[in-house]
Amino acid sequence: MTAQEFKEFVRANGIKKAAKEVDIVTTGTFGAMCSSGAYLNFGHSDPPIKMQKIWIDGIPAQAGLAAVDAYIGATALDETNNMIHGGGHVIEDLVRGKALRLRATSYGTDCYPRKEIDTYISLRTINQAVLMNVRNCYQNYAVATNSSPKTMYTYMGKLLPEFGNATFSSAGEISPLINDPYYRTIGIGTRIFLGGGQGHVIWEGTQFNPGAPRTPNGVPKRPAGSLAVLGDLKQMTPDFLRGLTLSRYGSTLGIGIGIPIPILDEEMARYCAVTNDDIQAPVFDYGQQSRNRPVLRDVSYADLRSGEITIKGKQVPTSSLSSLYKAKQISEILKSWIMKGEFTIQEPIQRFPMDRVLRNLDVRTEREALQ
Amino acid sequence: MKTKVVLTFSPEASNQPITHNLIAKHHLLVNILRAEIDEVGGKMVLELSGKADDIRKGIDYLKDNSVSVRPIKEGVRRDDDACTHCGMCISICPTKALSIDQKSGKVSFNEEKCVACGVCIDACPPRAMEILI
Ligand code: SF4
Ligand code: SF4
Repeated sequence: MTAQEFKEFVRANGIKKAAKEVDIVTTGTFGAMCSSGAYLNFGHSDPPIKMQKIWIDGIPAQAGLAAVDAYIGATALDETNNMIHGGGHVIEDLVRGKALRLRATSYGTDCYPRKEIDTYISLRTINQAVLMNVRNCYQNYAVATNSSPKTMYTYMGKLLPEFGNATFSSAGEISPLINDPYYRTIGIGTRIFLGGGQGHVIWEGTQFNPGAPRTPNGVPKRPAGSLAVLGDLKQMTPDFLRGLTLSRYGSTLGIGIGIPIPILDEEMARYCAVTNDDIQAPVFDYGQQSRNRPVLRDVSYADLRSGEITIKGKQVPTSSLSSLYKAKQISEILKSWIMKGEFTIQEPIQRFPMDRVLRNLDVRTEREALQ
Repeated sequence: MKTKVVLTFSPEASNQPITHNLIAKHHLLVNILRAEIDEVGGKMVLELSGKADDIRKGIDYLKDNSVSVRPIKEGVRRDDDACTHCGMCISICPTKALSIDQKSGKVSFNEEKCVACGVCIDACPPRAMEILI
């Protein structure tokens, strides 16, 4: 059943019965996930070219791989920094089946004599188009607000001045890693719903930080776990993969992810029974521009979903950057795939390391970097 | 009551004093927002103000004189296919024209409440909100 249905089932029947009767709970999330991108293999031209600089629909893609492999990142922008169209939009356009202009230049070698190419590609003409995201699906995330006297445009959206609003980004109680807080069933190799197709968890996400403070029931109170995921772009749909623009911040990619969680035992049933009241998130003041912003307070997702939270005595309207509507849709679709036998559960082949810590980037000397 | 209309007319109609007649015979205030007229006809954007009844009669008069009349809905529109129902706009909108249904998570747009302030336009990540002019 879906995560939503499971919580209702537990409320009505208790944990014991739920653990005995329910096999799998499907979770979902749809949100802006910046650490995303796709690698592509264009195939060889005649005469061949070893691409050194690449633009797809005007957006630069990373070349530094073999001759005709490239990686296009969701936040890549062109030289004008026009944010309406970035890497995320290019990936969406590919998924929509559009033909996009590919330009590449090179210095030319004996084996790759060609120095430039200007052509069109689409998902039908290229060999591989694989979404490979190094940090998606954060376990929990911050709540952003703004104490300053001017509107701020951030990766957490438009923040109105003087605590005019607060934004958050998580599907809360139906979000995948919230329902498996210690990564017992989600690990390397887990099969997932990704952008409308089927993909896999390939590693822990970057900045994986399992040691973040947690509530007694195990739910992290801060950003903690995250996932690196991979899947075939050719299977995906624009319903669950969308280029997004965060004004004056840049472009990104909205992606839908759904993960099935097997109810192995009563412990897993207890985890999956978590509700928005039990999930806490810290409110940060983005008006303070430093890495160590103070936490204004902790709020629950139930508060955030109510549409208003209190910050420093002020009623502040809240809204989300991630779509609850699509998250629910994803958990429904995944459930129907599993029931029809179109999606099989893959046990992780390796679990995530629990000893990872989060490090910061400081300006160091060569010697300090070795300590 | 006020309404905005786009008129498209043929050369015959452009020879008639239509705006004059709207003002004189139908007691309407006519504000010409844009006009492009030449020998093969033309296009005009008018703002009509007056009693609802008079406006209706005025528009009928235009249609009788083979002028095509298209009302323009001014303001802000949402492209429902582009909207991902993220809800970003909800805390931004000063009039609560955008609201979320807690059960389904669907975000709906109530045009009646919208004052076309435009604050939501650049806040919407997939750029689903657009200003019509
Ligand atoms: S911000 Fe845009 S995409 Fe999000 S709910 Fe509002 S209109 Fe829809
Ligand atoms: S234009 Fe202004 S009033 Fe209308 S929906 Fe957007 S924010 Fe709300």
